[in-house]
Amino acid sequence: MSRVGLALIVHEFLERLRDRWVIVISLLFALLASGVGLYGRAAEASATALTGPSLVTLASLLVPLVALVLGHDAIVGERERNTLGLLFSLPVGRLEVVVSKFIGRGLALTLAVGLGLVAAMLAAGPGEAEVLAQLVLPTILLGLAFVSFGMLISAVTSRQVTAASLVVVTWFVLVFFYDLGVLALLVATDGAVGQETVALLVAGNPAGLYRVVLMQNLAGPEVLEGLGLTAQLPGPLAQAGIWAAWILGPILISGAFLRAQKVVR
Amino acid sequence: MKRLELREVTVNFGAVHALAGVTLALSAGEVLMLVGPNGAGKSTLMNVLLGLVRPDHAELRVDEELRSLRGHGIKESVGFLPEAVAFSESLTGRQVLRFFAWARGVPRKRIDAVLARVGLAHAQGRSVRGYSRGMRQRLGLGVAILSEPEILILDEPTGGLDQEGLTVLWSVLEEWRAKGRAVLLASHDLALLERRVDRICLMSRGRVKTEGTPEALRLRARIPHRVTFDLNDCATERVEALVAALAEIGLTPSERVDRRFFVDVEHDALLPLMAAQARFPDVVAQLRVLEPQLDQIYERLLEEAPAS
Repeated sequence: MSRVGLALIVHEFLERLRDRWVIVISLLFALLASGVGLYGRAAEASATALTGPSLVTLASLLVPLVALVLGHDAIVGERERNTLGLLFSLPVGRLEVVVSKFIGRGLALTLAVGLGLVAAMLAAGPGEAEVLAQLVLPTILLGLAFVSFGMLISAVTSRQVTAASLVVVTWFVLVFFYDLGVLALLVATDGAVGQETVALLVAGNPAGLYRVVLMQNLAGPEVLEGLGLTAQLPGPLAQAGIWAAWILGPILISGAFLRAQKVVR
Repeated sequence: MKRLELREVTVNFGAVHALAGVTLALSAGEVLMLVGPNGAGKSTLMNVLLGLVRPDHAELRVDEELRSLRGHGIKESVGFLPEAVAFSESLTGRQVLRFFAWARGVPRKRIDAVLARVGLAHAQGRSVRGYSRGMRQRLGLGVAILSEPEILILDEPTGGLDQEGLTVLWSVLEEWRAKGRAVLLASHDLALLERRVDRICLMSRGRVKTEGTPEALRLRARIPHRVTFDLNDCATERVEALVAALAEIGLTPSERVDRRFFVDVEHDALLPLMAAQARFPDVVAQLRVLEPQLDQIYERLLEEAPAS
């Protein structure tokens, strides 16, 4: 990575830490996560039965939102401020700019998620921290996938308000309506769609993959069976592939999109 | 760098020919201004040099050596001020400069020097959100000069600048000229910049219409100067004698009002006019020569000059 790329990573990371929106949503996540931890402690329930699943549900809602907000103005913000040309006038490639911005923003996301989960662990008490630690890596991967998707939105739009609107739409579609869509498919086909296909469809969405895998790890496969998902979920290698595709795919498409543009401004 | 040449630059956006075979040369110690109406291709030409627009055809030579416009091209040697630059509002002026200093490998102490140079030392800790348009423009100028590049590319550099900001800009142009570096700028502020640049390149519809020093373009336009004669309270015969003397060198008053008349004179007739009027010190109380407006000159040149 070039000098410009490294400078951009640090710059992006520090700038995100000053972003009021990011600070507010991150604090909200930390507050709610520690609330979940305290509730589990007060109820004297085990982390696998109550705190863990509750945190998974909370993170699957909030982390994609934080991540999309983090990513959505990466390129289009520079474009609107007339600084994209200034950035690309530095000795740095277009793909490297995208990758550097992603890394810088990804680090900020990691910090925000880490703080939230640590707050939850502290609130839940010492005995539960080990169980809740299982959430750290998947939650960061979930966040990175959505930062990446937010950056794709940012690269292909020309106005920040358009990018912000697409962020809201993306969040609703992938976090809320996707599972309903799968359910609707099952109902519409009268259950003709196989369980393997349903499992693949659910796991193909990063928010779905995050939820089902962690639910299964924390509370066992019977939780999913209770939800009607009886098929085997993709194995660890396939899961890694799905995460890699969701994290790297949008970044590479963003870079290719900018590289293909005759004019960058 | 002694000389940079962009040759035969062609940029098409679909059916629109943004640049049609433009050739431009920039020498060390020179300040070159691109002028022309909106859509003339000024910014596109600068963006080609910066690697922000991919040309359909172009050749870049630095000191006669062929250089690629792909990849990093001459980016290490260029400082750029985009038009109406804004910067992230959550950052302070110093933080903006610090990022570009990291990116360009410039030592930190240079940041202080640049902040002082562009007159933002007092506002360095304030967020850009609180900067006026002129202050943002000065910050942009600071970013452009931070690495002391061999070539400065400034797009509409006077935009939003107050007198203090203009003074900073003039001193930067002077410094770059004096140190044998080069400046390429595009502007609509002809009156402000004419006396600060060495050469003007007049563009229209993606082509170079004409180029030269401001004085050469002024002569080429052949727009007459307007000479105002304020007359003493003297005998009518003496005034008529003056008019007759002017007529002998082919000049006739275009307008006459009480004790004042006006003569439109081409540049090369100014000296004979001066000589003629000098014979009538008792008649002429005051003589004023008004140069043609720059806008008139460039309009005339745009109408007349064949595209090259």
